[in-house]
Amino acid sequence: MLVDSSQIIEALWETLWMVGFSLLFSALIGLPLGILLVITRKGHLWEHASLFNVLNGVVNIFRSVPFIILLVAIVPVTRFIVGTSIGTAATIVPLVFYAGPYIARLIENSLLEVDKGVIEAAEAMGAAPHQIIFRFLIPEALSSLVLALTIATVGLVGASAMAGAVGGGGLGDLAITYGYQRFDTTTMYITLGILIVMVQGLQTTGNLMSKRIRRS
Amino acid sequence: MIQFSSVSKTYGSGKDAVQALSGIDFTIETGEIYGVIGFSGAGKSSLIRCVNLLERPTEGTIKIHDKDITALSKKEVRETRKDIGMIFQHFNLLNSKTVYHNVAMPLLLLGENKQKVKSRVADLLDFVGLGDKADQYPDQLSGGQKQRVGIARALATNPSVLLCDEATSALDPETTQSILELLRKINKAYKITILMITHEMGVIREICDKVAVLESGSIIEQGTVFDVFTNPQHRTTQKFVRSIMNDGLPESILKEINQKENNHIYRLQFTGSTTGYPLLSRVSREFTLDLNVLYGNITELQGIPYGNLIVEFIGERADIQRALLSIQQQHITVKDVIQDAG
Repeated sequence: MLVDSSQIIEALWETLWMVGFSLLFSALIGLPLGILLVITRKGHLWEHASLFNVLNGVVNIFRSVPFIILLVAIVPVTRFIVGTSIGTAATIVPLVFYAGPYIARLIENSLLEVDKGVIEAAEAMGAAPHQIIFRFLIPEALSSLVLALTIATVGLVGASAMAGAVGGGGLGDLAITYGYQRFDTTTMYITLGILIVMVQGLQTTGNLMSKRIRRS
Repeated sequence: MIQFSSVSKTYGSGKDAVQALSGIDFTIETGEIYGVIGFSGAGKSSLIRCVNLLERPTEGTIKIHDKDITALSKKEVRETRKDIGMIFQHFNLLNSKTVYHNVAMPLLLLGENKQKVKSRVADLLDFVGLGDKADQYPDQLSGGQKQRVGIARALATNPSVLLCDEATSALDPETTQSILELLRKINKAYKITILMITHEMGVIREICDKVAVLESGSIIEQGTVFDVFTNPQHRTTQKFVRSIMNDGLPESILKEINQKENNHIYRLQFTGSTTGYPLLSRVSREFTLDLNVLYGNITELQGIPYGNLIVEFIGERADIQRALLSIQQQHITVKDVIQDAG
């Protein structure tokens, strides 16, 4: 084995750090974006055809670029925001560009599943649009929203591993530079093992949280 | 008081335009229970949603307590909605919230203080008979219980109007009865005006004071439940009335009648006090006729007994004519069944 345990632990921290921050920022972008994609729809709370079409188009464009290409394509933006295009902090920018629109779509789907009758009841009792969103729409979709965010988090773990390609650090970087390029099979298996445990843990936690919220 | 004046509603425009309501004119007096009946697609849903502007009328005005709600701003509409409770066919409760929270919701939206909300919700749940269910979730309740939660929620803000959108259509007959009783109790206790739409004539007969029949977006008949049920004018209305009054002749008897020649079969409709009068035996004696009762029943509409007899008159034609005249003088409606049969 070409790496020692401290390197693996450091890589693990980098991964957690990357995934954590990019999840935070992409949720901050994806949540409002997803809500907007729902309420600007025809016949919904805040019908606005042109805004819906623009948002829908933008989300689709980002969703169609493969992550490895996005990583390189937005280097100028990354450099503008964090001052450099390599390193762990720098990979957060493309990760957010990747996961933000993805989360928006997942959120959109969850919110669309809320029974239209509940929204109608909310309107009938004189709820204002912001009350309908925060007191009806989101609470009713919450359990499904948690599952959506779980899917996005697992997606981010995978994408963050790819960030190794631009020297982003983390477990993926370790697996590529040592396990793949230097044929260090042990390191490869260890990093894969950690990733598997991580994904299992995330999914189980997500499922449990969602179930607890649903209360059935 | 709710006043509809020439209300029309059109969905879409141009070639795709669908006219859901046209020229709706009617008035619901304060404290009344008003039923609107129609087959699906008649426009009932659009009509009831115009009252709280979930649907905006394309033309016409709707006045609630003499205030034209179609002229209000969005904010004013939200204020007005707090004075109009609504319950739904599929209850539309928040599944993620407890019964308590569902009923408290309209008050929480108003920003009422917690203590006030607590005591109000407890009162409401007691009133609808769910005092012990506050901490349960909607999916733990039966359909009837869910509708009771819906009713408690609709009453939370003390509205003067309650809209019932097919409120009993998803319930079994027994539960329907108990929900209707609750609605009647609400109407009496709070003097609340109730507008209900339904496709079940039984619901109308059970609790409504007045009824309007809706077909293809227009009101084809309206009046007191008693008048409309005892003397329906329009074919659709007759169909609805027959669906529960059971006052048509059975197929087999109708066949028999049609085979006989020269028969005299009449429908006699009694209302109110005449129901108790020994009419047939008197007529039989006085005009020396034989009378054969083919069908008969008595129902109660809005507390007034209403009898329905189908009688075959056997005897001389002239005697029969005189007998019928004499019957009509007793304020009993006489109809020729053979001509009337449909």
